[in-house]
Amino acid sequence: MIVKGGIVYDPANGLYGEEMDLFIDQGRMVEQAKGEEIDARGLLVMPGGVDAHSHIAGKKVNTGRIMRPDDARQGTEPRTAVCRPSTGYTVPNCYAMGYRYARMGYTTAFEAATPILEARHTHEELEEIPIIDKGALTLFGSNWQVMECVRDKDLSKLAAYVAWGLRAARGYGVKIVNPGGGEAWGFGANVKGINDPVPNFDVTPAEIIMGLAQANEMLNLPHSIHLHFNNVGKPGNYTTALETLDLLKDIKPSRMRQIVHVAHMQFSAYGGTSWRDFESKAPVIADYFNCHNHATMDMGQLLFGSATTMTADAPLEYGNARLTHNKWSNHDIELEESSGVVPMVYFRKMLVNAVQWAVGLELALLVKDPWKVLMTTDHPNGSPFVNYPEVVTLLMSKSKRDAEMATLHEQVPKRTVLGGIERELDWTDIAIMTRAAPARILGLEDKGHLGPGADGDVSIYNLRPEEVDTSQDHALVKKALANAKYTIKGGVLVSKEGRILAAPPGRTFWVDAAVPQADTDRLMIDLEEKFAKYYSIQIANYAVQDAYLPHAKVIRAGLPVPLQEVA
Amino acid sequence: MRSITIAAKNAFRISVEAENISPDKLAPLTIEQIGSLFVWQGNRQKKLSDLFVVEGDDGPATVEEMTIRLVGDFSQVKRIGEGMTAGVVEVQGSVGMHAGNNMLGGLLSISGSADDWLAREMRGGKVVVMGNAGNYLGAGYRGEKCGMRGGEIEVRGSAGAYLGEHLCGGSIRILGDAGDFAGAVNQGGTIFIGGSTYLPGAEMSKGTITVKREAKVLPSFLKTEIVQIDGLAFQKYAGDNVDNGKGELLVGVGSS
Amino acid sequence: MIKDAVCSFCGCLCDDINVEVEGGMVKRVRHACRLGSSKIMGHGRIESPMIRKEGKLAAASFQEAYDRAAQILLAAAKPLLYGWASTSCEAAKKGILLAEEVGGVLDSTATVCHGPSVIGIEEKGLPGATLGQVKNRADTIVFWGCNPAEAHPRHSLRYSSNSCGRFTPQGREGRKIIVVDVRETRTAKNADKFVRIAPGSDYEVISALRMLVAGKGDVVPEDVGGVSKADLADIAATLKAARFGAVFFGLGITHSRGRYKNIDNALSLVAELNSHTKFVIMPMRGHYNVGGIGQVLAWSSGYPMSVDFTRGGPYFNPGETAACDLLARRDVDAALIIAADAVSNFPRATAEALADIPVIQIDPYENPTTQLSEVVIPCAVVGVEAEGTAYRMDGLALRLRKLVDSILPSDEEILVGILESVHKQRLLRANEEA
Repeated sequence: MIVKGGIVYDPANGLYGEEMDLFIDQGRMVEQAKGEEIDARGLLVMPGGVDAHSHIAGKKVNTGRIMRPDDARQGTEPRTAVCRPSTGYTVPNCYAMGYRYARMGYTTAFEAATPILEARHTHEELEEIPIIDKGALTLFGSNWQVMECVRDKDLSKLAAYVAWGLRAARGYGVKIVNPGGGEAWGFGANVKGINDPVPNFDVTPAEIIMGLAQANEMLNLPHSIHLHFNNVGKPGNYTTALETLDLLKDIKPSRMRQIVHVAHMQFSAYGGTSWRDFESKAPVIADYFNCHNHATMDMGQLLFGSATTMTADAPLEYGNARLTHNKWSNHDIELEESSGVVPMVYFRKMLVNAVQWAVGLELALLVKDPWKVLMTTDHPNGSPFVNYPEVVTLLMSKSKRDAEMATLHEQVPKRTVLGGIERELDWTDIAIMTRAAPARILGLEDKGHLGPGADGDVSIYNLRPEEVDTSQDHALVKKALANAKYTIKGGVLVSKEGRILAAPPGRTFWVDAAVPQADTDRLMIDLEEKFAKYYSIQIANYAVQDAYLPHAKVIRAGLPVPLQEVA
Repeated sequence: MRSITIAAKNAFRISVEAENISPDKLAPLTIEQIGSLFVWQGNRQKKLSDLFVVEGDDGPATVEEMTIRLVGDFSQVKRIGEGMTAGVVEVQGSVGMHAGNNMLGGLLSISGSADDWLAREMRGGKVVVMGNAGNYLGAGYRGEKCGMRGGEIEVRGSAGAYLGEHLCGGSIRILGDAGDFAGAVNQGGTIFIGGSTYLPGAEMSKGTITVKREAKVLPSFLKTEIVQIDGLAFQKYAGDNVDNGKGELLVGVGSS
Repeated sequence: MIKDAVCSFCGCLCDDINVEVEGGMVKRVRHACRLGSSKIMGHGRIESPMIRKEGKLAAASFQEAYDRAAQILLAAAKPLLYGWASTSCEAAKKGILLAEEVGGVLDSTATVCHGPSVIGIEEKGLPGATLGQVKNRADTIVFWGCNPAEAHPRHSLRYSSNSCGRFTPQGREGRKIIVVDVRETRTAKNADKFVRIAPGSDYEVISALRMLVAGKGDVVPEDVGGVSKADLADIAATLKAARFGAVFFGLGITHSRGRYKNIDNALSLVAELNSHTKFVIMPMRGHYNVGGIGQVLAWSSGYPMSVDFTRGGPYFNPGETAACDLLARRDVDAALIIAADAVSNFPRATAEALADIPVIQIDPYENPTTQLSEVVIPCAVVGVEAEGTAYRMDGLALRLRKLVDSILPSDEEILVGILESVHKQRLLRANEEA
């Protein structure tokens, strides 16, 4: 396949809007190829979009669907010769997820939170999502085995457990959500900060985070720890964010990447002592990121309208439900986690929501290096992913931001600095924040760029970067981004102007990390006891079987150990 | 004025979905065009003229001028008058589920009975039923916070269970009895029941429910005073206190 | 000896079953309860596919059965595909695809068990947990309208009343068990407190408890549903004093007067208890994978049961699109019944509606549904003769194993056979028309 004459933005390879032809053969980018020609003359061409933080599969996503037929009935599309039927807006069915990502030019999305015990369910759903490549991050932050290894300061056993857990879950990386809080929630409590001990376990969230970060680097995992801070969503929580980031600054990375990726930074950049004096602390957070290189973030942008909040931060969800008097689902997972789901509507005239809206944008605009900030909405917590074009246009257009600001609660200018920010992102920034950076942050070598050997994932938009004024023509830009002119996934033309042409299955990435057998042996003594006494299932039935990943892509990592020692 | 008659050719065993039969959809069309609109019977998409005979004044007309008369057996025909904003739909006989869904204005009158979900999520206009109404009259869709938000419904006979569930506005008047849980989660509408009902006003936060005869009242309602309305005595209750509701429930005392 | 097999009988999905196999036959089953053991050991089976000819079921080949089934489904304007509670998620996936292909309505047996619970959850959400969380933490357990002693024999030992865990080392001794029911069941006899309520009064009793938990007992009358206010106050105090409480509920509350409103109210009670302590609630699911069809249907269509695919886009509205509703109104013209005995489980008038339409049955066992079926297709038993996924009553997915071989195809294979025949016949018809 040949993509002819596009204006190519491939920042990972130093291409910033160059007119050139691209070649794809057998699903990969190559230097020369023959075959079908796609006419992209003068049009914006980027690598396929990569979403590094989205809630697309598993128990809590399905719980969102089951409790929200009101959401499912929106966005109903009948089946076609190519497509299964679509439903839903904030919690679409599996098929709609694949089609809607592909229509926007996205070809990869990672599920951000899966408990090991329920990973089988996550993979059942991931496999049903067509077209895009996927992966799932595995939850470790309130896990009994993790906390006990941290308490005993047994780092090598902890690393062995992380490797074992990733293998059992067929997971891609280490996710930590409100560390320790999920365990405390087992008896209806929470942890108040990173130094507040977890009840019954004699460890602090700070120790859990440090232990997992060190284990992550010991194992040389492609991705860093992926952290949802303590105190997310609360006024004044920016101090927790800064304290936590500072903890990690001296850890040595095992790869050329960050030490910590911060999930949905927007929800952790708040000042004030209550909802009454609630304000943005995005400038302070952005300063920290500008002065340090060990952390990256995704925005977690909030947009007005309907959302469904879902997170392993269960106490946060109980608070949300009580505050908004909305329906509430909770799901605690024995020995491992908690989670919750609450529907939400964000209003422009509600000061808290309007400030939250501004905070996300401020973060993305005030952090100078676009490689440190990913464009996300923490789908579907801040807004469903179909609204990414709205976020991108807000980042590219000061006039659009001003027009929006004029419709918000009148106090917003006093609580935020957004009105004074002149910066408008360009296509290079956007290509980084939606393609190159998420791939690099996740450690996906073949994603987010168009160099030879990369996956043949290309998005072509009906926009002429050399003509369109992104600052003024934001409506045009938004429309073009919503439905790519062409989306190519693995060398297959899957979507054209919003119409799905093909729906091949996507792959699922997972990480198999090697550790010394001696550490695994020590670990298994602990685990066998836990299964005998505490888990409600047998260890033999715990790990995800290969049958659930018929399109697996295994990434090897781990300690340099002789082959025969690999567990 | 423009008046047309749509007659059902048969009694339908497999129910028909005919959301196109509304003044808004038909007013701008000629009789011939109306006949070629689509309806669904199960998984079969059919032309309206396959199942119905359309006669009357030729179009187009404005929606306000439009009167649609339905004759024959419409008891298995669903979604009549869905989303109508004006005009008149007159059903001579009984009508299937979801008549007057999302209705915004105009008049829907039914000389027989109406099946379940009559006037679901209604926002305006008027519905009159000479016979009985089924379950979920003026209620909402599964999982939604609001059912009916405005308009007026009158039923001369009785109504089924879950009458006005999630009512957010408007008024419903039933001359006969209502089934279980009338006015559950009422958030500001008015319900009058001429007969009896069972556990009215569960989780209501606002609005008024008046039951002229008897009602089993929930243990979470606070008995307050006796009031006189049109010469009749009613026991007043405040509730539903499970949610600190500020609703008003009035139940007739000793009327017969 | 096969160790740690998963029992495919009830929603407990006990996964510690040891099975001795000899000569391709199950010889002995260890750890399973009487119900599970009997299923795994096996009993009377349908041996061959059958098609009704001149009023009588006669043996046929699988292909003939698939073709006849496909023909029936294609001829129907509104076919119902019902059952799915006792088969694998893999079969459910194919079934959903088939429902889409033939434009049918797909519903599960939830419609006659925990369907009202699902509607309640749509109103309020579900504050739940995995069963291991209850085992490790619960010091207070309420069984409302359910009788696990009879229906889920190993529930109490593995997950609830009598289980031991990290924070519950004393097991039954350290727990308070409350049973609420209209009659004194075996479960009630083993409780610390049995609360007998008047039939149909669940909603009122729960409302009274919500008032008492919130400290608004002054409004509550002296007697609610046959229970004294003092008794109710005592229960409310027990619930609030729990360190971790769990409510398990069954058909006694979902199918008594009030139905989904009862569950809706119970969900609110549990949500409110979380302002005082920790509380979770979950339904006692009956058939082993009735949870699984709900999960698969939700991620495939957006809705967990009663999904109408007749117009191409999924539509959901129990009360209208549930199997019972459609049959009661005679608003279907063919039915495929899989892994469920519809005739025995439906109300009589509803079951009678099946007699008027062509019925396809896929089941390992002969049952009253067989008697009125047009096509009967026997299948391998999932969890004994075929692998597959099932979801436990708490939503946990487990992989069921194959213990012995069978000459019969799995449900999944049968559905693929019918799907292929649907494609073939449709192509044939298109060619004829062209």
